[in-house]
Amino acid sequence: MRSSSSHNRRVGPTLKLIAGPAAVVAVAIAIGLLVWAPHSQPRAPLRTALVLTVQKDQATGKQLAIGETLFDENCASCHGNFAQGSKLAPNLEGLGSATVDLWVSSGWMPLANPTAEPIRKPALFSPQQSRDIAYYVASLSAGGPSIPHVNLSGASVSTGFSLFALNCAPCHTITGAGDALSNGLSAPPLHGVTALQVAEALETGPGNMPRLIGNFTPQQVNDIIAYVTKDIEHPTNPGGIGLGGVGPVAEGFIGLFVGVGLCVLIALWIGDRTEADDESGHGHHEVQGAGSDA
Amino acid sequence: MTNQDTATTKFKVRDQMPDDSLHSGDGAGGDEEVIPLSAAQMQVAASNLLRAELVVAVCFFLSLLGFAGFGAAYWQGASDIWLGTFLGIGAVTFGVALTAWGKYLMPRGPFEEPRKLMAVKPEQRELVIGDFASRGKVAIERRGFLFKIMGAAATVFGIVVAFPLIRSLGPVPDKQLDKTKWKKGSYLTTLEGKRVTVKSIDVGSILTVFPEDDIGGALSQTVLIRLQETGDIVTRKGRETWGPHGYVAFSKVCTHAGCPVGLYEELTQQLLCPCHQSLFDVRIGCEPVFGPAPRPLAQLPLYVDGSGNLRAQAGYDEPVGPGFWYRGGTT
Amino acid sequence: MIERLYAWIDDRLALSRGGRTILNKIFPDHWSFLLGEIALYSFVILLATGVFLTLFFVPSAHEVVYSGSYAPLRGTKVSEAYSSTIDLTFAVRGGLLMRQMHHWAANIFVGSIVVHMLRIFFTGAFRRPREVNWMVGSTLLILAIFNGFLGYSLPDDLVSGTGIRIAFSITESIPFVGTYLAFFLFGGNYPGTSIIPRFYILHVLILPLLILGLLSAHLGMLVHQKHTQFRGKGAREDNVIGSPLWPVFVAKTTGFLFLITGVTALLGALVQINPIWQYGPYKTYLVSYAVQPDWYMGWLDGALRVMPSWEIHFPGHMIPNAFFPGVLMPGVTFALIYLWPFLEEKLTGDRAEHHLLDRPRDRPLRTATGAAVFAFYFVLFGASATDVLANYLSLSLNFVLWSFRILCIVVPLVVFPVTYKICKELQATPGAGKRKRPNIVIRSEEGGYEAVPAAQYPGYVHDELEPVPIDEVDVKAALVGAEPVSDGIYRIPREYR
Repeated sequence: MRSSSSHNRRVGPTLKLIAGPAAVVAVAIAIGLLVWAPHSQPRAPLRTALVLTVQKDQATGKQLAIGETLFDENCASCHGNFAQGSKLAPNLEGLGSATVDLWVSSGWMPLANPTAEPIRKPALFSPQQSRDIAYYVASLSAGGPSIPHVNLSGASVSTGFSLFALNCAPCHTITGAGDALSNGLSAPPLHGVTALQVAEALETGPGNMPRLIGNFTPQQVNDIIAYVTKDIEHPTNPGGIGLGGVGPVAEGFIGLFVGVGLCVLIALWIGDRTEADDESGHGHHEVQGAGSDA
Repeated sequence: MTNQDTATTKFKVRDQMPDDSLHSGDGAGGDEEVIPLSAAQMQVAASNLLRAELVVAVCFFLSLLGFAGFGAAYWQGASDIWLGTFLGIGAVTFGVALTAWGKYLMPRGPFEEPRKLMAVKPEQRELVIGDFASRGKVAIERRGFLFKIMGAAATVFGIVVAFPLIRSLGPVPDKQLDKTKWKKGSYLTTLEGKRVTVKSIDVGSILTVFPEDDIGGALSQTVLIRLQETGDIVTRKGRETWGPHGYVAFSKVCTHAGCPVGLYEELTQQLLCPCHQSLFDVRIGCEPVFGPAPRPLAQLPLYVDGSGNLRAQAGYDEPVGPGFWYRGGTT
Repeated sequence: MIERLYAWIDDRLALSRGGRTILNKIFPDHWSFLLGEIALYSFVILLATGVFLTLFFVPSAHEVVYSGSYAPLRGTKVSEAYSSTIDLTFAVRGGLLMRQMHHWAANIFVGSIVVHMLRIFFTGAFRRPREVNWMVGSTLLILAIFNGFLGYSLPDDLVSGTGIRIAFSITESIPFVGTYLAFFLFGGNYPGTSIIPRFYILHVLILPLLILGLLSAHLGMLVHQKHTQFRGKGAREDNVIGSPLWPVFVAKTTGFLFLITGVTALLGALVQINPIWQYGPYKTYLVSYAVQPDWYMGWLDGALRVMPSWEIHFPGHMIPNAFFPGVLMPGVTFALIYLWPFLEEKLTGDRAEHHLLDRPRDRPLRTATGAAVFAFYFVLFGASATDVLANYLSLSLNFVLWSFRILCIVVPLVVFPVTYKICKELQATPGAGKRKRPNIVIRSEEGGYEAVPAAQYPGYVHDELEPVPIDEVDVKAALVGAEPVSDGIYRIPREYR
């Protein structure tokens, strides 16, 4: 049981359980009912390999070789030489190339500190290198979704907007600004994501995100990706500074401190201050009840 | 007007008043008298008159440019950012100019006027009450009774006049809050009108569903979640058949203040209401485990029919959403 | 020429008879007396921009298919209210500026009312004879908050629509009559189609009329009772010292109007507010995260979040959880606000008329109480942003919520004694709050030092009113034949020179 406060961003154990036990089958119900407490770990069910995509990765031998090298240099120290996992990091078998590519290209991986919560940072590898690593890891075991192909021609941003509002806004906010989830996790902001990353996230449901790919037709997936990459990344802000899309919190802050604040400062200029009394002592009445308690 | 003038300046009142019934008001000196003003009061605050006047003039000029800019920008169809900036600059400089004029180029005073205490002398009050009462007295016997019966009529008026203003506004709730459109055999249907089958969504996914005859319904909105376990999900005692093949369905209307609970945390299998952060544990029947929600989300009992469609065994067994007076306790 | 015009009107309306009072009316100059004007002029801006908006907004829940210029909405079924607001934004020249100015002005309006109210409270301006004006002002605050809520709910967007759902839930939580009230207000079960048109007429007609009426009463009483003033500079209970209406006050206040308009226009031009096209239309099954009401409703939202999940059940009935933070707490709040002048009168036993203001430090108990109560609502207001704060500060959501639960009790308890202490210390320090003046040190021939205060600023000419010698008054003799006013107060006439 880990303690809370500054350490509640600890998601190390969560990472371990994401990968779950190897590939296969069954139905491992490992859920105990923990009485929830503010600083307890999240209960983490084991993930089965029940997935839909059957597409095989189209990776050349050269790509696999590059991937293997990169993996050995950067990932094996925590994930094991064959991605079998270790005390520090979960087993990657059966997760598919889509998962690995998402985690690596978004900068969540590699993780300098195995116990830290993965946050988005500039990716260590180029997009192609990230794919190579993904192909390599996927080649180590069967199963798992492949890196999808994104085709945005004919995608409709208005359909994407409606789908985004229903399925994505409850966690990522309607403007894609991201927000905090329970137990120290968070739904990240969507600014700066690529079309491929959106597709992979829908495909693999990373972390607390549900696996939404089955809810949509392929065209709908492309619509959502089109909306995210166009209007979430580049919001239309004809009204001026966009305040990060955070909404009334930021607006209230500005309205009070800039709006009312400026007006009060102006009032300070227009009106008089209570002037200092002169040294003759005249003009300063001894205030009735000065020094009183009531 | 110079700052060095020490003589008292008097301001004369026009003296061809035809009417002689002049009555001095509350103002200092009344309407007829001259108000004496000292030189100190008539001084302006600006130590450098020329500079002050220059500042005011320049500000007015900038304001003119600002407003003209607004007009030009409007004519050219410029964006609202330009429109507002010009308007803002014009207004701010105008305000600065006018305020500076008032502050630095007008008599700085201080001026004084007398104030009467608000409390009224008892004798004056007596006079008013006397007027009220004396003319109000009518020489008939049953005045008290008349007042009472008038009061009764007025009271009834006051009550009935509220009827159209309140009651006509809408229907009484009756049982509308108690039941949704879900009933035995309802197909779980997506927003697009497609029926949901056991293969529709992935493990770990969440979908918003409705009964086929109330798509988009505010009270009947339901979340279907496919949990990790593939067997039957038993969330509480007595619900053994409610969660077939790893599927569970709960009302999407939060029991706290009615927001749609669309945020599913897949790792922890909890629903988090985005409005006030109530946390519901799906695995134990959406029992609230954190936050202000007082009762669990209602669960919809599911079954799978011959064609693999997910359907409701019955409607919800309790009213969904936030509480209300005659809802009674929880199940 | 103006004189001739004036003479023409004057001969028909007799303006000069009694009209001098208006021209010569004295307004005390202190800057804190201008805070109410911020509210007044924000309201003027709201009326002006609001009229423009009413010429385009369609208050209807009827669904149409949007076919305008904003691509992500094209082809989507939205209400006419939403569609007309989007058109105002993208298709009406100056429409977005008017919308944003209107919304910023509303935020400034309520904010300045609160700041003004705090000034009235901490200086004791609500005491006799101004208790009625305090209650009128408090009503104005409620109306302003409510009208703001109605206003930002009109476009029927996702964010404000969520707030309407919560309003329905809070209304139905009232014991006995709650569900009836909710159904009457909404014209049926949620959502119905009546709420937008009803909100509209409340927002543009009924509440502004009420506000205008009460505002007139508010200002009328102010004129009739004359403004309060701070001590010093010859101010007494029976005079008013300041600037005359004409020309000084007219110049300054009109200048202030333009300045406030300018600030609002610059905000409306440069800082985006309520981008409803990014929020999308409201549908009852949609929700977004990081949704808060506008700041003046934040204390209610925060209260809803921090309230523990208690509920009261009897057989067949319940008092739902949302009732306590949503109805009971604001009810108690405003009851306290209304009753405060009478509470204070009772506690202090002070029933005299007051036209001179207190400095907050001179009334430590009142100041500390006000500060503590304000701190409570401020913490609740902060609590409405639990999720945004947790995300921004990278803290656990659970931790942030628990912190606010504890803070809303602890902070007022700490603020009270700290404020009290500060007041007492300010009282004890003679030079506190006065502008510090440097001393010029002069060395005398004998070698000793002498410190002479320097001028307050270069070019400063001290020209306070000179003291007027007051004749000695034999009080006993003067009281003979003097008119008692009330409560032991007598009027002794004094001649003016």
